[in-house]
Amino acid sequence: MNWSWFWRHIKRMNWVMTLLVLIMLVLGVLFIYSACYVSDDRPVRTLYLRQMVWIAAGMAAYFTLGVTDYRILRRWSWWFCGVSLILLVMVLLIGTVVYGAQRWLMIFGMGVQPSELAKLAAIVVVAGVLGRTGGDVASWKVFGLVLLIGGLFVLLILQQPDLGTAIVFLPPIFMMMLVAGVPWQRLAAIALLGVVGITVLLAAVFLPEKMGMPEETQVRFIRMVGLSPYHRDRLRVFVSPDSDPLGAGWNKRQSEIAVGSGGLHGKGFLKGTQNVLGFLPRSVAPTDFIFSVIAEEKGFIGSLFVLTGMGMILLLGLQMAVNAPDMFGRLICTGVMTLFFCHVFINIAMTVGVMPVTGLPLPLLSYGGSFTMVILSSLGIMQSVHVHSRRVSRLTLG
Amino acid sequence: MREVNRFYNPVIVIRLAMLVFCGALFFLGFVLWHIQVKDTAEYSSSLDRQSIRRVRVVGARGRITDRNGALLAGNRPSYCLAVYIEEVRQPGRWGNTVAEVERILHELSAVIDLPVNVSSDDILRHIQRRLPLPFVAWRDISPRALALWAESPQAFPGVDIHVEPVRLYPEKGLMGHVIGHIGRADLVAAGETGYHFYEPEMEGKLGVERSFNDVLSGVSGGRLIRVDASGMKHEEVAWREPQSGLDLRLTLDSEVQQMLETALRGLRGAAVLLDVNSGDIIALASEPVFDPNMFSVPLSSADYRELVQDQGRPLFNRSVNAYPPGSIIKPLMGLAIVGSGRVSISTEIHCGGVFHVGNHPFHCWRRSGHGSLSLRASLAQSCNVYYYQSSLTAGYDSIYHMAAASGIGRVTGIRLPGESAGLLPDDAWKRRRNPRDGWRAGDTCNVSIGQGALLVTPLQMAVLTAAIANGGTIYRPRISFAEPEAMVSSRPAWSAPVLQEVRRGMYDSVQSERGTGRRARVAGISMAGKTGTAQYGPAHEGRKHAWMVAYAPYEVPRYAMAIIIEDAESGGLDAAPRVQQVMSQILERDGAVRTGGRG
Repeated sequence: MNWSWFWRHIKRMNWVMTLLVLIMLVLGVLFIYSACYVSDDRPVRTLYLRQMVWIAAGMAAYFTLGVTDYRILRRWSWWFCGVSLILLVMVLLIGTVVYGAQRWLMIFGMGVQPSELAKLAAIVVVAGVLGRTGGDVASWKVFGLVLLIGGLFVLLILQQPDLGTAIVFLPPIFMMMLVAGVPWQRLAAIALLGVVGITVLLAAVFLPEKMGMPEETQVRFIRMVGLSPYHRDRLRVFVSPDSDPLGAGWNKRQSEIAVGSGGLHGKGFLKGTQNVLGFLPRSVAPTDFIFSVIAEEKGFIGSLFVLTGMGMILLLGLQMAVNAPDMFGRLICTGVMTLFFCHVFINIAMTVGVMPVTGLPLPLLSYGGSFTMVILSSLGIMQSVHVHSRRVSRLTLG
Repeated sequence: MREVNRFYNPVIVIRLAMLVFCGALFFLGFVLWHIQVKDTAEYSSSLDRQSIRRVRVVGARGRITDRNGALLAGNRPSYCLAVYIEEVRQPGRWGNTVAEVERILHELSAVIDLPVNVSSDDILRHIQRRLPLPFVAWRDISPRALALWAESPQAFPGVDIHVEPVRLYPEKGLMGHVIGHIGRADLVAAGETGYHFYEPEMEGKLGVERSFNDVLSGVSGGRLIRVDASGMKHEEVAWREPQSGLDLRLTLDSEVQQMLETALRGLRGAAVLLDVNSGDIIALASEPVFDPNMFSVPLSSADYRELVQDQGRPLFNRSVNAYPPGSIIKPLMGLAIVGSGRVSISTEIHCGGVFHVGNHPFHCWRRSGHGSLSLRASLAQSCNVYYYQSSLTAGYDSIYHMAAASGIGRVTGIRLPGESAGLLPDDAWKRRRNPRDGWRAGDTCNVSIGQGALLVTPLQMAVLTAAIANGGTIYRPRISFAEPEAMVSSRPAWSAPVLQEVRRGMYDSVQSERGTGRRARVAGISMAGKTGTAQYGPAHEGRKHAWMVAYAPYEVPRYAMAIIIEDAESGGLDAAPRVQQVMSQILERDGAVRTGGRG
């Protein structure tokens, strides 16, 4: 590897995207600091430093993948997929239980969330299957394979259990199939199946209760569809927010108060009382509820800034999909951006109370090692797609 | 394959995705605008509701002084050592914080040389109920302990001095029953609700501390404290200064009070001294007395039990308690009987030592009899037979109405708690107790000499004596300058000649050689009075209260006084010498003042 080659690639990367990503990352570090600086625990107080380490590692991956031809991933995608699935199985066997769910795997003393890695793995392998040159997207074999891969990931993650993460796998795969040209009838059938599935799920969760069945029967119905009473509580809080304001409804209520009391201009950096006083629990403020901290301290203007930044990243990313040199690259960009969008939308919608509370972090802003690494790697792969696209460079091979 | 994808263009799908994603983000922006800009006030108030705690701060109590401005009740700062829990909090369970507080207290205990007298339960209870407030570990510590703490090289983070006002009565027990005492308020005053925490408030429980509590207690201020999610104090947001209560100046004179209390010392009894021309109370004593300072700091239950179980009942204000009056009621009986018109001033009645109503003998205290005597002599010698016979002549109705008009059986209206109305019995009262029994002639005889069911308070008798001295005005006794001057309670229709004769009789009682109150005589001044020996309890026990009422000087009356000594021999032997002692001291003092004025 020589440096001029390296620089040529670096220079061809989409620097607006890189700039936006860096701005969001800096913002993230600042508000992770704000969310934790009053904590009594030293490890929590210095969370922002650890995030900086993760960002450094993530940016290294971003640039490395950015200059590497993404097409070699096609060759490695099955390995990648296999490793992810093995890790997902391992986490079920030897994982660490946090907040009632088995999500963490300790590797060399570091907590790794295989489900985050699996998100990228699933996108890459599905893109590989659907974007195979000369392959038949319309064949039932390909369709079945995609469904099999997607279903495998979703089922394994549901076992943790992590409903939010499992559900977030579906839109990217669906979107990739749509872009790849899978016949619309099948997609419509999937969509219909989804609607029916959700209806059955909700019915299983709430109907037995509405019909006045005893608790054990209710739980049996809920378990029958693969959920747990914990999901019912979360959903119930979403449906009637004041049913349990000190229990499952606490985070939602406090997050809404934080965001709402921020007003137009916010209370100022480090001055968010919800966060400083600990009403917004410190365990979630720097991770799932980082947006509440920003919205409280920087107000509506800060919220809009974040929304605009995220929107621009999405538009640039999807433009990369448009300009991609091949279907594989195009599908990767589409899948990653759909995943990114789902995280942004669900997370922010959750902090303002229009969606149930799920443990989905906000990309680039939330604290979280695995997720930061995965998102930056994904964006790096997209940069590689961009670098190799016809409009941008002649590096692309025909 | 081509067929299937005929209508398909991936770029259009991606552009659509762009549109959908942007639309979704716009939607989020709209929701954010709604809660952050439009409804922000609602969320801000929710925020304040959950994080702001209002703490009521009590104003300092007003001072109490005597008529000359001598301090009777004030406040002194009490230094407490308090732990500010939020500064010593420990992560994890509350038990960790409790243990940390206990550890600090034990270290501190060694430094200031005081034992730790709070338990871990106390700390836990404080954390559960009053977390944002400092936890007071040692109350009212000595200057030595304070100095030890201040000079300790060891740093105690989270521990600081906390100053509380403590009620101080510099004269100790003097006027104890008038001043009363304070204690932890039972209820939150009206208009003071809506606070989350109340600093302990003291309210008057007895005496003027209680009856003038509104004047003495100040207007509460408040603090707004912002707390964190665990309820710990985070910062003080606002502070409103409480207002101190108003001072109260009593009509009582400490010097005279001292004389009165000295005269009663060691006995069980009470005495009241009034200004006859205004009804102002100059002194009011009840023995035994208590030290109100005991109640200023939390009273130990052992101390309280001792006070309550004391045979002398020191908390009990005898000056407003009802007793049978005995012969001291005779001046009023004279006014009523002769005032009825059926008996004249000069009517003489023969006393042979006994008077029969039907078959029942009513005795005079002198078994040999007094011979014939008129109203004046009957008062001087306290003849019973005169009253037995004349009261039956006058009829009980006229006696009842005159006594009622003169304030018997009715509270005087003094601003002291626990005043008894006494009892003026009549037919209706008797029938209420026993429907088959009505008023009998014997009842009239008993009441006429202040026995039977008749009950009066020493204060009532002092007020009545003042009325006899001032020409017939029953004042509502005044205890403080916060009340209007010379409040007239009633002016009973006493005839002037009869009143004059009654006064002469009372004069003889003290000034004549045969008077029963001669032991009250003060050299160089003339005094009028009446003694009384009231029997009470079962007859065979022979228990008696000794009474005397008096006013002086006879010519230009200034002071009226009533005194009772429980379980004594007789008014003439036990009460009169004490009247002499007090009156001579007061008049001597006044004389000195007069001399000074002239010089």
